[in-house]
Order: sequence, then structure tokens, then C-alpha cells
Amino acid sequence: MARLELDGVVKHYGRTEVIRGVDLTVEDGAFCVFVGPSGCGKSTLLRMIAGLEDITDGEALIDGERINERGPADRGLAMVFQTYALYPHKTVYGNMAFALRHAGVAKAVIDRQVRDAAAILGLDGLLERYPRQLSGGQRQRVAIGRAIVRNPRIFLFDEPLSNLDAALRVQMRVEILRLHQRLGTTMIYVTHDQVEAMTLADKIVVLNGGRIEQVGAPMQLYQHPANLFVARFIGSPTMNVLPVTPVGLEGGVARVRTAAGTAVEVPVAEAVTAENTQFGVRPEQLRVLDADVDGDGVFRGVAQVVERLGGETLLHVALGDDAIIVVKAAGGSAHRVGDPVVVAPEDGAGHLFDGTGRCVDRLMPAARA
Amino acid sequence: MHIAVFLGPAVLIYTVFAIYPLLESLRLSLFAGQPDGTAIFVGLANYAKLFFDPNWAGAFANAFWNNVVLFLIHMAVQNPIGLLLAALLSLPRVRFAAAYRTLIFTPTLLSVVIVGFVWQLILSPLWGVAEGMLAAIGLGFLYQPWLGLESSALVTVSLISVWQYVGIPMMLIYAALLGIPDELIEAARIDGLKGWAIFWKVKLPLILPTLGVVAILTFIGNFTASFDLIYTTQGALAGPNFSTDVMGTLLFRTFFGHQLQLGDPYMGATVASMLFFVILVGVAVYLVGVQRRLHRYEL
Amino acid sequence: MSPGQSRRSLALVHLVLAGYTVVALFPVLLVVINSLKTRRAIFTEPLGLPFGAAFDLVGYQTVLAQGDFANYYANSLIVTVVALGLILLLGAAAAHALAEYRFRLNTFFAIYLIIGIMVPIRLGTVAILELMVELSLVNTLLALILVYTAQGLPIAVFIFTEFMRSLSRDIKDSARMDGLSEYRIFLEVVLPLIRPVIATVAVFSMIPIWNDLWFPLILAPGEATKTVTLGVQQFIGQYTVNWNAVLAALTIAILPVLALYALFSRQLIRGITAGAVK
Repeated sequence: MARLELDGVVKHYGRTEVIRGVDLTVEDGAFCVFVGPSGCGKSTLLRMIAGLEDITDGEALIDGERINERGPADRGLAMVFQTYALYPHKTVYGNMAFALRHAGVAKAVIDRQVRDAAAILGLDGLLERYPRQLSGGQRQRVAIGRAIVRNPRIFLFDEPLSNLDAALRVQMRVEILRLHQRLGTTMIYVTHDQVEAMTLADKIVVLNGGRIEQVGAPMQLYQHPANLFVARFIGSPTMNVLPVTPVGLEGGVARVRTAAGTAVEVPVAEAVTAENTQFGVRPEQLRVLDADVDGDGVFRGVAQVVERLGGETLLHVALGDDAIIVVKAAGGSAHRVGDPVVVAPEDGAGHLFDGTGRCVDRLMPAARA
Repeated sequence: MHIAVFLGPAVLIYTVFAIYPLLESLRLSLFAGQPDGTAIFVGLANYAKLFFDPNWAGAFANAFWNNVVLFLIHMAVQNPIGLLLAALLSLPRVRFAAAYRTLIFTPTLLSVVIVGFVWQLILSPLWGVAEGMLAAIGLGFLYQPWLGLESSALVTVSLISVWQYVGIPMMLIYAALLGIPDELIEAARIDGLKGWAIFWKVKLPLILPTLGVVAILTFIGNFTASFDLIYTTQGALAGPNFSTDVMGTLLFRTFFGHQLQLGDPYMGATVASMLFFVILVGVAVYLVGVQRRLHRYEL
Repeated sequence: MSPGQSRRSLALVHLVLAGYTVVALFPVLLVVINSLKTRRAIFTEPLGLPFGAAFDLVGYQTVLAQGDFANYYANSLIVTVVALGLILLLGAAAAHALAEYRFRLNTFFAIYLIIGIMVPIRLGTVAILELMVELSLVNTLLALILVYTAQGLPIAVFIFTEFMRSLSRDIKDSARMDGLSEYRIFLEVVLPLIRPVIATVAVFSMIPIWNDLWFPLILAPGEATKTVTLGVQQFIGQYTVNWNAVLAALTIAILPVLALYALFSRQLIRGITAGAVK
């Protein structure tokens, strides 16, 4: 059980800077997920916490104690790797016991701890098997078991589910969540999958280009993205973003117009500049209207692609000006390719982003708090 | 620290017993021995001697040319046979392919000394196996003691070497052919290609880099390793009448001397250095001219 | 071969392959078979099998009486095994350094060690002999061991490095998290993982050492340090007219290699076809 702090952490490889100053606190018992596109530095950051990469500058602390100079085995951490990293020449038992044996722990203690962990993960019957005799999901469990056995202060997970197939991934996700509830230990988890981030985390750290874009609870990031990057990264299908021209500002509400002439109103916290303003709205925040509805505030277009997912239908609607917006409609939607579609944002839905991509709508201050 | 421990021993042994001797040989080639046992710096005089002195130039040109012939015969005979065998072995649904390739590779493992003697016996007029077999198919009149004739000795030695080493190009090419994904061949078939057309138009272009590797290995092998076979079958004098003399046997005789001449380590070093330059040129031609032009496709 | 391809072309494929197999094996078998025959049978019926009156072991008796083949075998074995051990251990360690760590001279050492693949060590023979004279190592097995180790290292380092680069980084990091030192990671994690490729490198390194004539001839021609290859070469040089002895000596040199090949051919060929040589 521990609290992790990063203070101005920087990483250089030669002249390239891959982590550009990260400040972060992970509270005791938290489930914190680092998420971002590949190359954003999330794995490097995790490896720096683990002690597998040097910290070029800044400080990492566990429970207020500086750990920069400690070796990876002396930080009280355990890590679960993407490729499982099981020793192929050792049995499941041997793999789980390895670190403890190496640390000179008494045999009886090792045995108890390995068997406890195996029971938690349902590996009881597999202890004498070799990794090659296990399925992917079982290997992943062994890798987790190996971490549990060490009774670490913090668990580190490096994309642990990305080598599993889709069905197994969902199942293991739930198991990891249960494990966290059961152990209550601080966990730090790296993934590129925003669904994993949303479902697992109580704190998400969105990284991009070696910098933190935003830190917050899942719903906070979803509802109040700090910028265009976070807005697009969180949520699936991704947020629709259209260039707009501001046409008025009245009583804290900005009125903007798309190239096709649709006008929408968004409450804003500050005046919106004319340059490169963009309007974003999530597919699930658009409501399909009858084709004959008219007005200033509606988007009209033609269904170009219709993806039927069963419970819902995704309509890719080509607007007049080459733009395409995706709309999440009901599963039973009768729309077919070529049909005219009219949609409008729900009341108060949508975000405005200024020329630098910063979100300027009124809810921002709350998100910052 | 641990990097030095891991790397140090290998680098040390390699430097002392491989790199240093190479450089030292290059250095020695610039010196000449004196009657009192000392050596003096003579610049490129040894090379001038090797190229222009009537006692040396002929022998050097002969050895070099014979090496070239040896190389060309290998390129013209060994590598095409290797390619053919590999192509056949890599066809799907050829039973016993594993047995064929294992057996065909066998001679490659034997010592050149053994192979040399074996063929010497078989081709020997005393034993008469070769003669007898030719006679059995009505071609007895063709038989000659090939290894003993000035006109045919070099070609015969080359073919013995081809026989021994055909397994190497076969294996390398076979491995490359196996590396081509099945999907690609299936796609070619769906595109309407058949049998040999698939080989020429799809497989061959993809294994060109391997053929380049085979060529450079053949080159290096012919210029350095040909000594063993010729020393075994024809002796250090590379008879008859030096008709099978190559750079390796010339180097050996120059260094250690023989009936007609005393050994000279400095001229030996010069011959070795020339061999070094020849290989360097060959490797350079390969790296610049061949490898760069051959695309290595990601498979 | 597509389903439509005829039986005839398949038969042709087999004809070519089987034909070449005969060409590859016939000379070797001829020697082995005739080594078991009487002198008379060798000449009158070279293609006959060594049964009945034709059977004779006189060649082997001569070889065992005249040549010190047990000693030659021991020498070859010592040289090959020790050199091979050094090549594998030092080569794997060097490759581990190159594959695992980023350090300034990494690329330099990688290229430096690979030069030896392109430039045969034989070209330095003049200086190697001088060096061995100076170190008083002429006519010792150690001289051969050192030279063969230097000769075998480049290809071993090359193959090991390629293979180690393909190993998962996670497993080594995991060992670090478990508190292993860098040395123990090499010994306990990396070495077990490279076992398949060790066999390949071993065979590749072993064959040229066992079969070499050049360095034994130059560095260790003394009776006490002769290797099998040199021993056979000189024995046959002396007994050219004793056909039984010559054939027996050749067979004695061939059979162990064939036996080893029969045992390890699967591994060897898998090694080659695994693309170890790119």
C-alpha cells in the first residue's frame, strides 16, 4: 500500500526527450491508468517508476521517499508484462516462487504465498505445468500471480491484456478489477485502449508526446475534456469535430456556424477567437430527427455508411460540405445508405475548442478543480 | 562494468589471434628479410616483385587466374545445381524431402582431405572404378586420368569441390524459399500463375538477396579454402606443372618453401595481403554493387 | 504443385532428387564398403559387397598398428570441444552485451567482431605462426584452440546477437524486478532461452574446426599434437600403395562424422533453415 509521486520527471535518450516533465500523484489504493497513443511515453514512464529506466531529471517518491537511485528489486514493486515474461524453463510454481527464492525467503513461506496466490487466480491445478502448456489467459494469470506473491506496495501493469483475444481481454479486465477490490493495493496500469482505461481506472492519465494532457476520473475526462486531444482519444466512436465560425457571443453563450450553415450554441467561459475554432459533439449526443424537420440548428446530410451493431446503429452522415459526422442511432433504425438524415445535438451538448485545441466551453473550470 | 565483462574476453581473443595477425601480415608485407636474419622496410617492393619479377609474376598470375576459374566453375555449376535442388525440395507435397536434403548435405560435412582422397581413389586408373563405370554404359573411351593431366586437372578439382559443397547453396536457398509465405504463392496461383512461372516470377525475385549471399560466400571460399583440396589431391606443388596452383598453395609454398625455393615469410605475407585485398574488393563489389541493388523485401 | 499438376512431373522431381542423392552418397559408400574387403576384391569387384570371401579387415589392422589414431582422435576431440566451449560461452556473452545494452561503442564492436566473417583468419597465418613461436605455443593444442576460438567467434556473435535481439525484453526486465544481477540474468535467463540456437552455432563452429587441415599442418604438425584430419592426410601420404590401409583410414575418419550427423542432422538443418544465416 503506497502513494506514488512524480515531480518534474524527465527522460532523455541521447538528444531526444521522451518524457518532458511529468508531475503526478497516485494516491494510496488508487487504480491509475496511463493511456495514450503508441509512442506517447506511457510505457517509458512506467518503466521509470519500475526502475528499469533511469530518471534523467526530476524525482520519483513512494510514500514520500525518493526512489530514483534504488534498483528495480528494491522499490517494493511488482510488474506484469505484456508478453507475460514467464521463464519457459520453470514451472508455474517455479515462476511464481522465483523472486522469493532469490530473496532467500523461507521455503514454507514461499509455499504458502504461492498457493494463496494460485487460489486467488484459480491456478491451483496448474502449478506443475510449464508455460508452453498453458493458454494465453492462463499465462497472464501466472504473470499476475507472480506479482501477487511478492506482496508489493504497488502493482505495475504494462499493457497486460493486449496479447489476448477480445473475449478473454474482457474477462481478464474484470478479474483485474476484482483483484484490485480484493487487495486494495495501489495499481498503475498502462494501456493504449481507452475502453480499458475507462473501465478500470479511478484515475486516468492521458499522455501525448511525453506530456500529460489531462488527469482525472473517467467520467470527468469524458464529459469535460481539457482539449481536443483528450476529447478525441476518450470515447468510442470518436467525437465528431467540425470547423466553425463564431457569429456571436451573448450572455456567456457563443453562437457558431458550420460551413454548411448549421448554427449551434455552446455556453463558454471566455470569448472565442475567430481563428480555427472547432465544434465537437459525441455521436451519442446527436439525436436523429424526422427527415422533414427544418431549422437553423440541425445538421442535414445523407447516410453514406450504416453500421448495424445490434443494440445500436452507427450512421456515417455526409454533410453538404464534405464533412462526415457519425451518429449513434437506435438499434432498430430504419435508415439505409442514401437516405437523407437530419440530426441535432442534445441540449447543452457539444464543446468548443480554440485555435490551440484548448477547450473553452463553460464547464472547463469545474473539470480543472 | 558488466558490459566489459561480457564483451572483454571475446574481443581480446579475437583481437590477438585474428585482427592483430591480419594487420601484422599487412605490415610484414612491407619488409624484406636480410641474410643476417633482420628485416628492413622496403615499402611496396615486395608487391612490385610479385607483379613484375619474372620469378614471381608468372606464378602469381597463374595462381590468381586459376582461382578465378575455380570461382567461375562454382558459380556456373555448383550454384545452379544448388538452386535447382532447393527449388525441387521446397515444392509442397514432395515426400521424403527431409531425407533428400539430409543426404545431399552429407558430403559438405566431410573433411576436404577425406573428400580429396576419396575422389583420387575413384578417379585413379589403378583402381579403375571410374573407368569401369564409364565402360559399363559404353563410354569407356572417354576415360582419362583427369587429375593427372595438365589440361583437365583444374576443372576436375573444381568439380570435386562442387560435389562437396553443393549442399551449402542448396540449404541457404532452400531456407530462403521456405521463408516465402504460403499466402503469396496462393495469391500468385489465384492470379493465374502455374508451376515454373511461380518460381521465376514470384519466388526467384524474392530470394535474390540470398543468391547474392551465396555468390559472395562462394567467392570467399574459393579464394581461401581451396588450399585444402588441392594440397590433398595435387600436393603443395599443385601439379601437374602448377596447373592447379591457387593463391592458397602459392602462399603455403612461399611461406614454407619447397624443393625449389627457400621459405620467405615476408613474401608469404605479401601473397596473403594480396589475397586480403582481392577479398576486400570482392566484398566491396558485393556490398556496393550487388547488395544495394537487390531489394530485401520484408516477408 | 497445384492439384492439377501431373503425376509425371512429381515423378520427375523425385528422379532428380534421388539421382542427386545417389551422386552425393556413392563415393562415400564406395570407400566404406571397400575398406572391408580383401585387396583382391577391392580391385576385381569394386562395386561388390563385403561378404564371404571378399570380407577382410586387414586394412583396419594395418591402420591400428601403424597409425596412432586413438591419439589423433583425442587431439581432435580436445581441440574441438574446448574451442567450441569457448566460442559458445564467450560468443554468447559478447552477443548479450551487444544485444542487451545501449552503450557508446556498441555499433563499433558489432562491426569489429563481424569483420571476421568476411575476412578469413587464414590470411594472418604468417603472423599467427610468429606469434605462436613467441608464445612458445607451437606444437601445442592450445595454439589450435586459441586460433579456432578467434576464427569461430564472429559468426557465433553474429548469430547469437540476431537471435537475442528477437528475445522478449520483458523477461529480462522481469528478472531485474526479481532482483537478479546482470550476470545472473545472462546465466539463468538468457542462456536457457538461447538453447535452440546454441545447437546451430555449435554445429556451424564445429565442422570447420574438426575438418581443418591448414592450421594443424602449420601450427601443430608434431606427432603428439596431430589431429585426425592431419593424421589421415599424412598416413595416406605414406601408405599410398596399401589400398586396404588407405580405405580403412578414410573410413575411420568418415564414420564418426556420419554418426554425429545422423544424430544431429535434424537440429542442424532446422538451425540452417530457421534463417540463422540471413
